[in-house]
Amino acid sequence: MERTTFPGTLDSLEGIRLVVKEQAQQAGLAKKPTYALLLAVDEIATNIITHGYDENGGSGPVDVLISHADGKLSVTLEDDAVAFDPLKHTLPDEQFFAQPLENRPIGGMGIHLTLNGVDEFKYEYVNHRNRNTFIMKTEPASAPA
Amino acid sequence: MNATSSTVDGITVITAEGSIDSKTASAFESTAIGAVQGQSQVIIDLTKVDFLSSAGLRVLLVAYRQVKARNGKVVLVGTSEEIQDVMSDTGFLGYFVTVDTLAEGLATLKAA
Repeated sequence: MERTTFPGTLDSLEGIRLVVKEQAQQAGLAKKPTYALLLAVDEIATNIITHGYDENGGSGPVDVLISHADGKLSVTLEDDAVAFDPLKHTLPDEQFFAQPLENRPIGGMGIHLTLNGVDEFKYEYVNHRNRNTFIMKTEPASAPA
Repeated sequence: MNATSSTVDGITVITAEGSIDSKTASAFESTAIGAVQGQSQVIIDLTKVDFLSSAGLRVLLVAYRQVKARNGKVVLVGTSEEIQDVMSDTGFLGYFVTVDTLAEGLATLKAA
């Protein structure tokens, strides 16, 4: 398990992407799923920093925990901001995406991209901390018996 | 991230480099929005952009709206496969012309 602590500011986004990318490469994750994972982590980290900390006048760390076992690369972001479950937010539906770009509301795309890009996404609130976990499969699924 | 704008053969070209995230999107936005003022033919060169989050998509959306309001066209140059996947997933791709090189982009707009 690799743990790296970043200050909860937008300046940390680049460093967070770098540690996730390094571990994804070590885990042998292919280029496209690696990009999807980086994007998912970036979107949620942005939400933690801007909504969780900044808009509530708070500050704190974003811890990045990465592990690779049993064909699964797992990235967890932990923070001390107010409880925020991304899955409880209204996701843009088909109607949203069917609207021409000139009319559609700005925003609402980050969580969609997150859920769409990773194999599994989990949210928990444990010991007064938000835990957002992203899981990518790193080995081809075995053929059905 | 670095963003600049120039005029090539009378066409506005916005060139971005690096990673466009929530930290850097504001610099991309101010360059892009300044450059598209009054323009109906705009090229955004993303050849050297390796990462574009939803914050970057929002800038493309704002630029598109301004140019579209003048019945204009936005051409994206050198958009990576990964970024094109994201644009496809969010329904953005169909609103932009995407080409591989700046020369193709200029030719596309001149022919329009």
